[in-house]
Amino acid sequence: MKSSIRLGAGSGFWGDGMDPAMELLDKGELDYLCFDFLAELTMALLQRQKQKHPSAGYVPDAVAYMKAMMPLARERGTRLISNGGGVNPRAAAEAVVREARDAGLHGTRVALIEGDDLLGDIDVMLDAGVPLTHMDTGATNFAEIRKRVVSANVYTDCSGIIESLHERADVVVAGRVSDNAVYVGPIMHTFGWKHDAAHIDRVAAAVALGHIVECASACTGGMSSRFDQMPMMGKVGFPWFDFHADGSAEIGKVAGSGGRIDQHTIKEHMVYEIGDPNNYLMPDGVADFTSLRLSDAGPDRVRVSGVRGKPAPDMLKLVIGYSDGWIGESIAFFPWPHAFERARKARQTTLERFERLGLKAEQVHFDFIGINTLHGPAAPLPTPEQAAHLNEVGLRVAVKTHSMEEADKVRRAGANLWIMGPGGTSFGAPIKPRPVVSLWPTLIPRAFVKQRVEVLEA
Amino acid sequence: MATATQPRLLADIAYVRSGDKGNICSAGLIAKSPELYPLLLASVTPERVRALYGEWVTGQVTCYPMDNIEALMVVMRGALGGGATCTVRLDQTGKAMGHALLRLPVVELD
Repeated sequence: MKSSIRLGAGSGFWGDGMDPAMELLDKGELDYLCFDFLAELTMALLQRQKQKHPSAGYVPDAVAYMKAMMPLARERGTRLISNGGGVNPRAAAEAVVREARDAGLHGTRVALIEGDDLLGDIDVMLDAGVPLTHMDTGATNFAEIRKRVVSANVYTDCSGIIESLHERADVVVAGRVSDNAVYVGPIMHTFGWKHDAAHIDRVAAAVALGHIVECASACTGGMSSRFDQMPMMGKVGFPWFDFHADGSAEIGKVAGSGGRIDQHTIKEHMVYEIGDPNNYLMPDGVADFTSLRLSDAGPDRVRVSGVRGKPAPDMLKLVIGYSDGWIGESIAFFPWPHAFERARKARQTTLERFERLGLKAEQVHFDFIGINTLHGPAAPLPTPEQAAHLNEVGLRVAVKTHSMEEADKVRRAGANLWIMGPGGTSFGAPIKPRPVVSLWPTLIPRAFVKQRVEVLEA
Repeated sequence: MATATQPRLLADIAYVRSGDKGNICSAGLIAKSPELYPLLLASVTPERVRALYGEWVTGQVTCYPMDNIEALMVVMRGALGGGATCTVRLDQTGKAMGHALLRLPVVELD
């Protein structure tokens, strides 16, 4: 059995750069290249696309990436694993197979993993007495949103990925597996680990490493507080890690690529979106981020060891998306002199326009851009003296409504400001109203989730 | 440099990275050096965080120390105006929001 494998991070989100992934595949000497394409909202957007076109519903990039990478991956002996199947892994896998055939890569084995889409099973769960309580707020009135539900995807563990790799898949296309299952899967497959008591700490280590690299350049200098010390971020290297059978690992990147890896860049991403660091809950296991140790392992290389964990949770997280009205938004900018006063006057005028247009809104929210858009009440307003010297100030208004018609009044009121507003009022393009999908996260028993794997051959 | 009248701010002793999970904003503060870690712990409390954000944070705030990396997780519930998909704020995923924590004055230890 191998004592160590190397995994690369090929994508941190749908919208990431592809060239660093290609560089990693080419020069990283990888056993696996893994891609996270999904975010909480993505599933609802993809579900809506699938409702319009039954052959859609996956992340288009997921197919484009596989098309671009399969030839080199075969040469390098690297297997590709993604969750870009979204709400239609079958259609994505079929598209990947077509691309493989077109490229003459006959015999390429493409595994698809289904079973996370529970949109059709909500009533089954309700009938079985699963309360679908909102896990963050404790709300129990799911019935009130039942008719507006548009998506329901459960974060699944890496069992389907392990099975796919056991079935000799070259490419794995999953749906809503957890972000780090695309890393935990190949690790558990390689070392033959099970989700059992004997492997708790080692699986937790895989979960922790998966977390550290899953946003790709976010641990190699992206999003850094020390942004001024990160070289060539436009040519940043994505991370790889050597994972050892004892649960320790070294994280590195391709020599000569942009960005940086040091203990600080790793710490920065360790703390990202983890909630309680003692209990980082994933379907494969629970990692204790307060247990691990970091140490230097050479230039742009950090060693991670000592991760402890807890058994995988009994319940899985199901995120239900539901239609929840519309948001209308408008932005304008105002010049020196008296920029802030102009913006305040425009706010008043906008409110008067809303009144005239009879706007019915659930929420009306104003920001002064350059002043308090990002920190709200935590941002001190400028003193009159400071305000007098501001070069420019923007006004943003965002309004939540029940209907598109109401949201569109915000666009109209914004346009009215073109002439009714203070002198110097300037605009970009008007913003169209957008539909809102709100999320209802809940916990369900594992018994309702059955992953299904199928291997297609090019 | 700090003076008697001008307290140091958290920005002087810590870095931050924040993001979202539903309507929860999770912000990790990292001490710029190990000796600053006790100051970080002393300076950030749920009460001070609630007071800083006012109506922007409507739920419980919990702080979790991470002694192994000299960091502090600040988990703020009801902090994103409903969550990334439905908030009327520009910073939908709370990436900028955590940086406001750096405005907190440092509690100097003797």
